[in-house]
Amino acid sequence: MRDAVTGYLTKTISRRGFLDNLKLAGMTVTAAEGVLSSLNSAAQNTPSLSNNNSTEVPPVKTFQGSGGACFAEQLMACGVKYVFGNSASEDAQFYDALVDRPQLNYILTPHEGPGAAMAAGYIKASQEPAIVMQAGAVGLMNAMGQVFNAYKEQTPLVIYSYRTDQSRRAGRDGFEEIANQEQVLQPLTKYSWMARGPSMIAETTRHAFKSAWTPPHGPAYLTWHSDHTDEKTRTEIIQQSHFDTRMRVRPNPVEIERAARMLLDAKMPVLIVGDEIYKAKAVAKVVKLAEMLGMPVTQMRQMWVNFPEAHPLWVGNAPAGTLSSITWPKNYDLAINIGNKMQHNGVQPIVARNIKFIDMRIDYQNMGKVMSTDVPLVGDVALGLDDLIAALDQLMNARSKEIATQRTIEVKKFTDRARQIFTGIVNNPEWNNAPLIADRVTWEVAQFADKDAIIVHEAGSVAMHSFNFNPVGGRELFFYYGGHLGSGVGTSAGVKLARPHQQVICMVGDGSFLFGPHALWNMARLELPVITIVYNNHAYGGPHSRSIANVPSGRMVETGQFVASYLGNPDMNMAHIAQGFGVKAEVVSNSMELKQALSRAKLSTMDGKPYLIDVQVVRRGVGWTEQPWVPNIKGSKQKAKKT
Amino acid sequence: MCIFNQAKRWIFLFLIGVVSVNINAQNLTESIQSSETGRELVLNKCSQCHTDSIWRDQRQDERAWEATMYRMMGRGAIWTRDEIKSMSAFLGVDFGNQSTKLKVK
Repeated sequence: MRDAVTGYLTKTISRRGFLDNLKLAGMTVTAAEGVLSSLNSAAQNTPSLSNNNSTEVPPVKTFQGSGGACFAEQLMACGVKYVFGNSASEDAQFYDALVDRPQLNYILTPHEGPGAAMAAGYIKASQEPAIVMQAGAVGLMNAMGQVFNAYKEQTPLVIYSYRTDQSRRAGRDGFEEIANQEQVLQPLTKYSWMARGPSMIAETTRHAFKSAWTPPHGPAYLTWHSDHTDEKTRTEIIQQSHFDTRMRVRPNPVEIERAARMLLDAKMPVLIVGDEIYKAKAVAKVVKLAEMLGMPVTQMRQMWVNFPEAHPLWVGNAPAGTLSSITWPKNYDLAINIGNKMQHNGVQPIVARNIKFIDMRIDYQNMGKVMSTDVPLVGDVALGLDDLIAALDQLMNARSKEIATQRTIEVKKFTDRARQIFTGIVNNPEWNNAPLIADRVTWEVAQFADKDAIIVHEAGSVAMHSFNFNPVGGRELFFYYGGHLGSGVGTSAGVKLARPHQQVICMVGDGSFLFGPHALWNMARLELPVITIVYNNHAYGGPHSRSIANVPSGRMVETGQFVASYLGNPDMNMAHIAQGFGVKAEVVSNSMELKQALSRAKLSTMDGKPYLIDVQVVRRGVGWTEQPWVPNIKGSKQKAKKT
Repeated sequence: MCIFNQAKRWIFLFLIGVVSVNINAQNLTESIQSSETGRELVLNKCSQCHTDSIWRDQRQDERAWEATMYRMMGRGAIWTRDEIKSMSAFLGVDFGNQSTKLKVK
């Protein structure tokens, strides 16, 4: 098949010849036509290809200049428009090179962590390359938390920081020096390398971008001794179109046919969706697959919502992260995963062993790790969906179509009822309380949000209900899948930079907010009008409840002494923090105030200004009292004399 | 007051008593049924996602339990108003402010 594809793309065989070859290889006519149609979109998901005008820019050129200038040239050739960074004197030659290269926009971020989150947010929302850079090992350490997120979320974030130690004095435990700096990042990256000299800077940069952007995506790190940035060198600069592998793999056609037959034999197949669908822009295809078979659709923990939540086949997220935790159906006999990372947080496999399992994704490393897999379909999910749909189309007869129709009716009966029941959430007896319950805040923001708003979610113990997310032209969710806190505000700023025409709302818990509010300053400076909502209950609510669950009936519960949960006394004012960064903000305590504040936020953002609302939220969970315990530590009582 | 009137009075009081006992008995039966149903619902529905360690130390009244149930709806629980009433009625007794029980058995 590979020969046939190559032959067709290089025009050495005709369309008919191509189809004949595939039929000879055992593929059905429909499947072969599906392959043919998808070849036209073979360049999809190679973002920088569209950035480079190959008629004007030579694919390879020789460049002479400082190491910093070489770096800038290669970044432009990689399709980079934005460089996110924190001030680093050893990168002066690179900064100097930017002055005459306005195509590269440097965004100064006041802290490396939120800076990296902003870069990752931009990449996730634009699917365009970017780079984040820090000052040596010391800056890198601040960014590492967000590199962890990028690794877990499979974001193609490229990270650079120099080695403060210069090449002729390295290894002496000098200022800001650690041994083997590039190895610090190794567990968190797909590629981590130190260029050995200035002439290798451009090539190392290419390797990093190629590695990060070759599916499955992930972060890549590059470094070199800082003196190499200053040295003059002569090097090749290569356009990304000429080193990108364009890895869009089709699943094995034999396995595709097996999968199609198993799906048709199943009495109640369930479809699990995941982030590879969003990345491949294949939501419409997965909807078509679900509709063909009348399959109920669910999702385990992911970053994006990958299926329209208002669709009659959407039965909701699996609340406890295993398929058995969905309310309905319970009689499923087959599960097919399309692009979900299937993160296991417990001992039990997400899909029980007695259920047949089909797994389609490009993330081959995570396939077959925990799950017992009947049919592995390694490949790009957009292409795989094309092939699977084509195979089903050919195999389905009147009887199987009738079964699918009946199943659709059955699923719809459940989802109609579930949606009707859910409207009762407003019957919560605490619905009108002040301070507000978190669900009321979420519901009010859902009533307020634009129809195509992007919700960046970093509110740990809050459920993002009522938005009816729809990745095809509707509201989108950016969830903090990675879990290193402090990403929300930075991510929102990056998302807004990438999607200036969509409303961006950051929903963040007070605990998460405090880990990284710094990008508020970027929002103010760059006029990125994000609305930030802080659920402020003056506590780490999630860790509080989970700690008690881990030590039920323990001394914490008995004494009410929760040493690691309460953030009050004194209470923190997030509006004041925002104002310090130049962002308009206010504190609200009830639903009326919240509605009015949201109206003011909208006016502000229409004027290009970000806005923050600190919403006072009630603490809920085991063991909270009106005046929670605080430690009896008073510095003023311990000092020996008045100072 | 004539004997006839007195008799009528006793008959009236007797009937009130019977009706009252019946009503109380009926309430009690409903209460027990509700409580049993609530217990079963808690065991069946909460265990969909949790072990009992997540909530067995909680002590709060019925209204607060009801609010907790509604909070679970935001997280994907599909429970009717009646189911929530039954569960919170049970929890409000067995895991109410005065309860000393440690776990559902």
